[in-house]
Amino acid sequence: MKNRKAKLGVLIFSALTVLAPHRALADQNDRAHQIGAKLKCMCGGCDQSAAKCYHVGGSYSGPCDTAKQEIKEIDAQIAQGKNDEQVLQAMIAEYGPLAYVEPPKSGFGLVAWLMPILYLVTGTGLVIVIMRRWRKRPAAMAGSPVAAAAGGGVPASVQVTPELLARARELARRETEE
Amino acid sequence: MDVFGSFALILAFVCALYAFGGGIAAIITRHPLLIKSARQSGMATCGLIFVSTLSLVYLFFSDNYSVAYVVSHSNRDLSTFFKVAALWSGQEGSLLFWSFLLAIYVFSVLFTYRNKNGELMPYVGVILAGVQLFFLTISNFVASPFKVLAVAKASGAFDLVARADGNGLNPVLQYPEMVIHPPNLYSGYTGFTIPFAFALAALLARYPGEKWIHLTRKWTMIAWCFQSMGILLGAHWAYAVLGWGGYWGWDPVENASLLPWLTGTAFLHSVMMQEKRGMMKVWNVWLVFVTFMLCILGTLLTRSGVVSSVHAFAQSSIGNWFVGFLCIVLGVCLAAYFKNRDYLKSENQLDSLVSRESSFLFNNLVLLVACVAVLSGTLFPVFSEWFTGSRISVGAPFFNKVNIPLGLLLIFLTGVGPLLAWRKTSTESLLRNFKWPSIWGLLAGGTALVFGIREMFALVCLVLCAFVASTIVQEFYRGAKVVRIRSGASWLTSCVDLTLRNTRRYGGYIVHFGMVMIFIGLAGQAFNKEVEKELPIGSTVKIGNYDLLLQSMDQKQEKNYVADRMIVEVLKNDKPVMMLYPERRNFPTNQESGTMVAIYSTLREDLYVVYAGMNPQTGLPTVHAFINPLVKWVWWGGMVVVMGTIVALLPNRAALVVLAKSESPVSTPELSGMRPAQVTLREGHD
Repeated sequence: MKNRKAKLGVLIFSALTVLAPHRALADQNDRAHQIGAKLKCMCGGCDQSAAKCYHVGGSYSGPCDTAKQEIKEIDAQIAQGKNDEQVLQAMIAEYGPLAYVEPPKSGFGLVAWLMPILYLVTGTGLVIVIMRRWRKRPAAMAGSPVAAAAGGGVPASVQVTPELLARARELARRETEE
Repeated sequence: MDVFGSFALILAFVCALYAFGGGIAAIITRHPLLIKSARQSGMATCGLIFVSTLSLVYLFFSDNYSVAYVVSHSNRDLSTFFKVAALWSGQEGSLLFWSFLLAIYVFSVLFTYRNKNGELMPYVGVILAGVQLFFLTISNFVASPFKVLAVAKASGAFDLVARADGNGLNPVLQYPEMVIHPPNLYSGYTGFTIPFAFALAALLARYPGEKWIHLTRKWTMIAWCFQSMGILLGAHWAYAVLGWGGYWGWDPVENASLLPWLTGTAFLHSVMMQEKRGMMKVWNVWLVFVTFMLCILGTLLTRSGVVSSVHAFAQSSIGNWFVGFLCIVLGVCLAAYFKNRDYLKSENQLDSLVSRESSFLFNNLVLLVACVAVLSGTLFPVFSEWFTGSRISVGAPFFNKVNIPLGLLLIFLTGVGPLLAWRKTSTESLLRNFKWPSIWGLLAGGTALVFGIREMFALVCLVLCAFVASTIVQEFYRGAKVVRIRSGASWLTSCVDLTLRNTRRYGGYIVHFGMVMIFIGLAGQAFNKEVEKELPIGSTVKIGNYDLLLQSMDQKQEKNYVADRMIVEVLKNDKPVMMLYPERRNFPTNQESGTMVAIYSTLREDLYVVYAGMNPQTGLPTVHAFINPLVKWVWWGGMVVVMGTIVALLPNRAALVVLAKSESPVSTPELSGMRPAQVTLREGHD
């Protein structure tokens, strides 16, 4: 049994070895495209990055001409010996702050970044509140008939007691098959 | 034939109008003949939509260039295969195609339940007819695919004219994926109409809430499966055709297809809470409502041009109609909910925080947060323009930063959830269930570190994927062990037997395994690399371990296009591996061109080569090459997801009939308040 587990371990280890991409690959990324990924394609028809803009239905399918031109400009800046940040700033100076492909972390752009956090915090809070209420439920539900319209031809003024709800459920069960 | 198709479409509108109006009258009067006539009118609507759609297909096949839509999207040299795809390549045709797919669903539902669910079906029929009515209004009066070409005479009258040939189909749509991607995606979008109709009908009919879940389970899963396939086929098309080296760019149209998928996935999980524990009824009803509304919103985003999209081929001012429809749907849902919400009261309490119930709550939370974050990110440029006057761009880096952590949280819950028992999980059970998966996860992480992987998200993803995969393997192992002891069959046979005995549970595990494979593929993106170079014939460009040798260039004349090809020999560690032929296709009919990417794909990585065009100054061809690790895992993972869904849709084998019988008393009113039946509460079982 032990031997089998060891074999399985070796097998999975070998599989991971084959699958694990080498660290070196990440270092060879083209700098111009890396910088281009932070800048917007300025063609005006999309919100894609200069490194990945691909228009469907245009005269040129594949990286769009505007994006390609921007990458060429970045290449030229790199050739001048500038570092990544300097290249980025030079491009922003040319195209304006809206050339960033992601919202700025200041002003109204900050709202975009705060929204997902707000959703997560609010959602988690809601889940916690719901869980607390569910844990207390039996006491809350006992003997508290629900005021509402009732089904199956019962007048709207009648209260929906647990018995009535059970009857409606039974009715639904009988009326539906499968 | 154009008159025939147009007439059938008008008749379909009239029938839908009767199915809607007559259906409402039938609900009020409860007259059996009225109910029957409304239902049959609904079926006739579907038949007429079929006729109308087939007429349009016939117009394409018969090269009828007197019809404007055919002229815009086809030409004589277009292959038969793509003449079918031309049906949904433009606005008018795709809306008719939407009605066509919806008609298939509607007809199936009306026919299947023609003698069943007598109280519920009139409501369902009216809701379905209402949705059909909207799309038929658009197809008849706003964006008709049967408009004919005409020239005005001096007298003010019109002469019908016909062109000799059409403009041709957009080159980027002339790929096999484009023939199967839209039907799949649209089948997903339209399919969610069925659970929506049943949920709303159940609420209107004051059904307490469990039954519609049972009735619509398979419809929801079919829609979800199509939506998943549609999204993945779209991603594959973007990858194989557009030549940018990626498959998901967080474009608004892509996001629009993801939104209902996220809420649909949340729904598929939370229904279990309702089925097993009688909880989350309000939530489930609203999840279905929201999923349907997101399908409509998706169409709105695609069609209206309200957000900039690279999918610029299908935009118009039709969006206002969808906004109006969306408002009506929301109004009806709110009214029905506030009127009858008391029939959606939960029946059970939460016994422990460490339970399946909690994991489902958090699963739903993460999916919904991801959905809302993607939606608000997609619409943020519009908001920013309203509030500040300038359009702030929200591109892929934003969506990646927001969604990668959420995705990792979700994959973690995918592993944890199935191992927690309903109601309460004991500490011993936690230790027993999580020991080996945790060890395998850490082992995978250690191995990745040894091999130099330092990118945090990729590393965490790998650990979690190993963790989740081992939880799934463990579940199969445990179940198969029991079957094996009893039957003496092999492991494989025992696994198959086990799966067929509880298809829903083990099908679900297979879907989860597919998702793990997709996440492994997504993690590979952290290691993408690319190079772009002008390449004289006979020279090479290096990328990773590969050398690409441009041997020559040639030209290939096809019926509908001329292709300029690069003939590239791929060498890996100086040894020849294979030949690749990336090409650029030039379509003379519409003066457009498109790429045809050449991909050498292995489980480890894709070598992705694009002929990026000829530099007019130097006269040299440009090659754009990428190494994209683990991409194949995404496509294979998608296939596993589909396979798992199909398994989950299969009926259980006989052994489970015993289980089903033992569950049946649970639905009786006497026991409905005590829903946690003994049979369903085994630890670690669904």
